[in-house]
Amino acid sequence: MSRPDFLRGLRIVDLSMGWAGPLATRHLADMGAEVIKVESCLRFDWFRGWEASQRWIDANEAEKHPPFNSMNRNKLDLTLDLSRGRGRDLLLRLIAISDVVIENFAASVLPKLGLEYEVFKRVKPEIVMVSMPGFGTTGPWRDYRAYGSTTEQAAGLPHLSGHPDSPPTMVHIALGDAVAGLNGAAAMLVALRHLRRTGQGQFVDLSHSECLFPLGVHGIAEQALTGCAPPRLGNRSRYSAPHGSYPCLNEAWIVVQVQNERQWAGMRQVIGESVARFGNLADRIDRADDLDDAIATWTSERSADEAMAALQEAGVAAGAVRQSNELIDDPQLKARAFWKFMEREFVGELPHAAAPYRTGGNHSASNGPRRRWASTIARFWSGCSG
Amino acid sequence: MTSGGALDGIRVLDLSGHIAAGYCGKLFADHGAEVVLVEPPEGFPTRRLPPFAPGVEVPEASGMHAYLSANKLSVVCARQRDLRALARGASLVIDHGVGDCRPMQIETLADVSPHAVLLSITWFGQGGPYKNFAGSDGVCQALTSQIDWLGESGGPPLIPGGYHAQMTAGLTAFIAAMGQVLARELGNNWGPSHLDVSIFEASICFTEIEATRAYSGQPIRTRIGVNRFRAIYPLGIYPCRDGWLGVTALTPSQWETFCRLLGLERLTRVERYWESLSRLEDADILDALIASRVREHSAVELARRGQSMRIPLSIVPTMEQLFDVDQYVDRGAFAAVTHPDLGAVQLPVTPFRLYEVPAKRGGRVSRLGADTDAALAGAGAST
Repeated sequence: MSRPDFLRGLRIVDLSMGWAGPLATRHLADMGAEVIKVESCLRFDWFRGWEASQRWIDANEAEKHPPFNSMNRNKLDLTLDLSRGRGRDLLLRLIAISDVVIENFAASVLPKLGLEYEVFKRVKPEIVMVSMPGFGTTGPWRDYRAYGSTTEQAAGLPHLSGHPDSPPTMVHIALGDAVAGLNGAAAMLVALRHLRRTGQGQFVDLSHSECLFPLGVHGIAEQALTGCAPPRLGNRSRYSAPHGSYPCLNEAWIVVQVQNERQWAGMRQVIGESVARFGNLADRIDRADDLDDAIATWTSERSADEAMAALQEAGVAAGAVRQSNELIDDPQLKARAFWKFMEREFVGELPHAAAPYRTGGNHSASNGPRRRWASTIARFWSGCSG
Repeated sequence: MTSGGALDGIRVLDLSGHIAAGYCGKLFADHGAEVVLVEPPEGFPTRRLPPFAPGVEVPEASGMHAYLSANKLSVVCARQRDLRALARGASLVIDHGVGDCRPMQIETLADVSPHAVLLSITWFGQGGPYKNFAGSDGVCQALTSQIDWLGESGGPPLIPGGYHAQMTAGLTAFIAAMGQVLARELGNNWGPSHLDVSIFEASICFTEIEATRAYSGQPIRTRIGVNRFRAIYPLGIYPCRDGWLGVTALTPSQWETFCRLLGLERLTRVERYWESLSRLEDADILDALIASRVREHSAVELARRGQSMRIPLSIVPTMEQLFDVDQYVDRGAFAAVTHPDLGAVQLPVTPFRLYEVPAKRGGRVSRLGADTDAALAGAGAST
């Protein structure tokens, strides 16, 4: 399957590593931009893995790590030693013929190498530079280190999830990374549009933790409007009932979030007698313990998929709680050919999540990562000739 | 008149009125596009979303609607004729309308605006067995497997608070729509374009890595307790004297430095604990030790000292504290959104920053239908 060429003619130099930056450029690569990933000879993308034992190197493990291969499909790759004059010169020559350069180092890293926006601008006055360190490039935290977990914490989001007697509760191992990556893609597209129209490049930055504020804006707005944060209620809601996860056969679970009275009527119809005694929303919230018990009695006699099918048939928002290894076989994703199985040297066939938008019925996406990297990695270990 | 923003000259029509469409449109509006909300007489569904301002009635009371709708126009429209007038020259139409404003078909749209992109954001997309399923944020988070990681071992999976799936889909839809707008301006694609964005599929950005790892035979992650994630330890939130401290110590050197910071040097001599997975096995014991030290200190102070020792620590500000965090104050992360009935409300600004053509900070929210006459007159439609 060939890539679409919507962004044909745009070239991006990608100095980013890990999850967020590479996801940002993956979106543009999926839409047809040429993305040239530049890895340091001295420190390659840590998403390849960290081990670096002789056995690891001999087995080409740097080429095999699924997260790395997912984030870096459709890109070209080269290694440069940016601490040396020749490596820097090559990077600047590349930037001179590109539209965007993007990086997600800690804020102090590139300036120390003498590589920053002002320098790039000298070789390409209309370059767009996107910098995406954890907390942005300005402010007292600009040099702070952050993982995707740190940015979730710093954004205050954990105060909006979990039970009242639990500590503020995180909802992902690295929530900030994917969201910052999407924002990086959006930022590039907006800046490219301005460049296209006016010929003006610019410096762009984003803070991963600020990127998470929209995910917590219901809480931020409540604080701003009422002076109080929303209470943490575990799986309950102040605005709907039933609302929770319920046990099914085979230790599986189903999430049900009844959003309105029409859905509640559907639920009553499916479950029948045992929930007939519950009335309007206020009554259901009042007697939520009893209501949850009645629903759990019904769900626990069914598989999660059976329960989901029956409830959805009646118009109720219900979803089986999948495990990570079930996602590839999800019927919806299968029917929509969401997973693209692509061959890659050293690993064979791997599923890739397609870009989650389609034009005219087709997903934008997707070839696997194009280049073999073994030679560049070997050069790294033999001392990096640049 | 030009807006001066990066997306000046782009016109967006939102017929749909849900959160994802609202956030997608917001990113256009904040960067200078003209975004018109084409609302049914009772207003968009976002106007009925909590939180509400005390003493203000729906359809003007919603804080969510205010956040999503600053810098947009509100037009009440129930006639196809007016809708067609409004759509003339539009770059983007977000369909799946509600009430009397039925979504236009792309054929009709092509007559009045031949190069417009039509964007449909729905829970599960335009096809497949779940196409007509009712969706919610929690349902998406269940089906993507994210919440299988959340909660006590063996207990009910925890549903995160808020609208993560819808916001993420709105951002994804913005990327998709901007890609098409840019493709037209680059001369790469002039054909009719109907974008199909599934909120469920957009949410898979949070779990695709786990799914592909699982496919490659790696062990799957499942829930093992609040703020515990295999195989990183410590990764969590601890109570301090004055608030909460967020901790992540992944590498051996981060672990060693974290122990030194808390005066727990003896733990660095336990060879087993050089491995994150072994620490996780003893998480209950280690949590008690960490908590006993952390609680004597100030979170702000520990985070600052930790960061100066190069470990990723952070305060975990409450909603109340968030507005006063020095980093966010310094960067102007919040700005006033103003509404005739709500007054000025401090809300987050667009998170990515273009320094030559900055996004609008805050902005004005229209009451329901406030811009109807002006917009219809401007579009050449009779009122």
